[in-house]
Amino acid sequence: MKEYKMEPLNTFNYDRPVIEKGYANQTLCIDISDFVISVKPVTEKMKNVFIGGKGFDLWLLWNAVNNTTKWNDPENAICIASGPMGGTPVYPGSGKSIVTTISPLTGSVIDSNVGGYFGPYLKFSGFDALEVTGKSLKDVVIFIDGIDEKVQIFKASGLPDDSYTLSATLTEHFAKGKPRNISVVSTGPGAKNTRMGCLNFTWYDLKRKRARYKQAGRGGIGGVFADKGIKAIVARWNTVTTKTNNPADANTLKDVGRKHSREVVELDPKQNQMAQIGTTHLVPIMNDFDLLPTHNFQYGQHSEADNIGQEVFRRIFDPGYDGCWMGCTLACSHGVKDFVPLTGPYKGLKVFVDGPEYETIAGCGSNLGIFDPHTIIEMNFYCDTYGLDTISVGTSTAFAMECFEMGLINESHTHGMNLLFGNRSAALEVVHQMARGEGFGQIIGRGVRQMKVIFSRDYGADPDLMQDIGMEAKGLEFSEYMTKESLAQQGGYGLALKGPQHDEAWLIFLDMVHNFMPTFEKKAEALHWFPMFRTWFGLCGLCKLPWNDVVPEDNKDTLEPAKVMKHVEWYADYYTAVTGRQTTADGLIRMSEAVYNFQRIFNLKMGFGQREHDNIPYRAVGPVKTVEYESRTERYDKQLVEKHNVDITGKTTEEKIVLLREFREKLYEKLKDAVYKRRGWTNNGIPTKETVKRLGIDFPEVLELLRAHGVET
Amino acid sequence: MIKVNGEKHSWYQGMTIKDLLNNFNKSHLYAVVRINDKHISMPYFEKTLIPDNSEVFLIPMIAGG
Repeated sequence: MKEYKMEPLNTFNYDRPVIEKGYANQTLCIDISDFVISVKPVTEKMKNVFIGGKGFDLWLLWNAVNNTTKWNDPENAICIASGPMGGTPVYPGSGKSIVTTISPLTGSVIDSNVGGYFGPYLKFSGFDALEVTGKSLKDVVIFIDGIDEKVQIFKASGLPDDSYTLSATLTEHFAKGKPRNISVVSTGPGAKNTRMGCLNFTWYDLKRKRARYKQAGRGGIGGVFADKGIKAIVARWNTVTTKTNNPADANTLKDVGRKHSREVVELDPKQNQMAQIGTTHLVPIMNDFDLLPTHNFQYGQHSEADNIGQEVFRRIFDPGYDGCWMGCTLACSHGVKDFVPLTGPYKGLKVFVDGPEYETIAGCGSNLGIFDPHTIIEMNFYCDTYGLDTISVGTSTAFAMECFEMGLINESHTHGMNLLFGNRSAALEVVHQMARGEGFGQIIGRGVRQMKVIFSRDYGADPDLMQDIGMEAKGLEFSEYMTKESLAQQGGYGLALKGPQHDEAWLIFLDMVHNFMPTFEKKAEALHWFPMFRTWFGLCGLCKLPWNDVVPEDNKDTLEPAKVMKHVEWYADYYTAVTGRQTTADGLIRMSEAVYNFQRIFNLKMGFGQREHDNIPYRAVGPVKTVEYESRTERYDKQLVEKHNVDITGKTTEEKIVLLREFREKLYEKLKDAVYKRRGWTNNGIPTKETVKRLGIDFPEVLELLRAHGVET
Repeated sequence: MIKVNGEKHSWYQGMTIKDLLNNFNKSHLYAVVRINDKHISMPYFEKTLIPDNSEVFLIPMIAGG
């Protein structure tokens, strides 16, 4: 490794506050334009309205930016926060960090929920949230040392560019012999050269003696980080126990934490086995139900899907404990040991690969027509170390491949690259080009929305066709589930605040397989409750997996099994035990509603957040091309005849596609109406005066914004 | 003899997953079943035979990502 240098530019000494009931009660603000470090108090209002985590991030970001701020303006902030329960070792899934910024892909607010130790270490060091603004001309490393009570900014030179080696180097540099005390946030060269950069958050794996990482993947946060000149942010903290978070009621916390932990230990082996195979079980299951995206979301099934499913990864994953936070019994963050890449700068070297998870397998595998686990693992490795989001890389490359197959672009545009589906070496080369900022990879790295503009403007491709098959909404690429047969999940994607990511609502099985929501009202209710409850995890520093990926054995006998209410009630007890604030299951939803509606209004502030912005490409709704329709003719014909009373006798496939589209697009608009009504929004998708008043977010700026958009206040 | 969610359960030659689920309440809630380490989804319940001495797990609703 080459020599590196880190010279201190500023040191800020502080007295670490005692954590009180899950809060440090202050935030850390760093303006790296002139290396100013300061502290802001957390007010009771912030705690009451925004709770913590994503809520705090949004409030800090709201105050940092104005309605014209672009992603690469100095005032754009990167905000990172844990939450009041973040850093609790006795409750599974309690180590998450939530990151927000103005996204280079969407132009509005993006949020990402990520594992690793950073968020808890930041809080225990004395800060509920970190806000970084400004831009540095020099590469800098920010070091938050909770043990020695100082924050330092270093000018860095000679450090590795890629996140894999950079994370290991900085862990060793700051560890003082105790690498478990360190968590590093970093990105790589792909983040500098694309709009889909991710951040890697580390934790130290004591058994394997290495820094490992999880990704804050969506929306190009890594690009903002790199544009600011930040090489890394490092937190240092000491031993963590239940007392570190100073909960209001430690005994109740231990009781409820043990109950949930024990249940996971007892039932995960009988259910999804996530402690052994992560989320890879979803690959064959999605395939069986025609939900696994293949060839740019054209189809939901492929005969080779088992080659990249859980039976294969069960053999490939390195066995052992894989929790991305201390004490998590779900421990689903698996990895591949001694993997040897066939391409790129690590060609021929043994590396440890964190992953792959379902989204990466589907995005960088099936959706590209690739059913080879080695290629998927290699793409996973390079996306991470280059600082690229595997979902946006996968969905964008899939779009480019379909355009290439359809002749909308050709080899003269791809610099000679043959981008047919299934071309493994081309898919890997795209990733390397993204990292180098070269060739056609650089174009793909701008994302689907920009590719549509470039292909139409520069290459003469049909813009309407690309609008139908380009899988982005709000500028963000779709994550990896088929939605054609689930209207509720079309809403789950289209109505999601940041764009089509499944973390707000994953309703495909409930809607399509179990038929739990046959009416618009029931779909709207689901598109209210589930996004609200899922939002709550991000306010508190939690992972959602222990809620509903392991469920009590008697759950099926409850009134609403999809909600797993026993666990929801445990979470209410958990919140009360940590914060001392009494709450109930309904109270959790109310907390989220305030933050959720505030984020919707934040979109409005940035020029989005209205009905038209909830549109989705027709590929997410139904078959665009004749081959798609004809691959499932029986299904679509039956729907036309039985559901829409159409006489299809003598009609061509093209005519039937037009008719089906008309019906399905109307249904989607009707769904918007029902959801907006349920959420207390106008027919244009804007929260009403009554809604913002009820939720306590009727700040003067908010009311002014509503008035400016025609909402009566 | 097979085991279902850890409990012993009778078995007969030719038993399918669909046959097995007929013995349970609210079996419509199970869209996926695991036989030993292999997941079988609802579209294949009717034609998938359960081998003798299998460990069968009825997987609760799939909750996604």
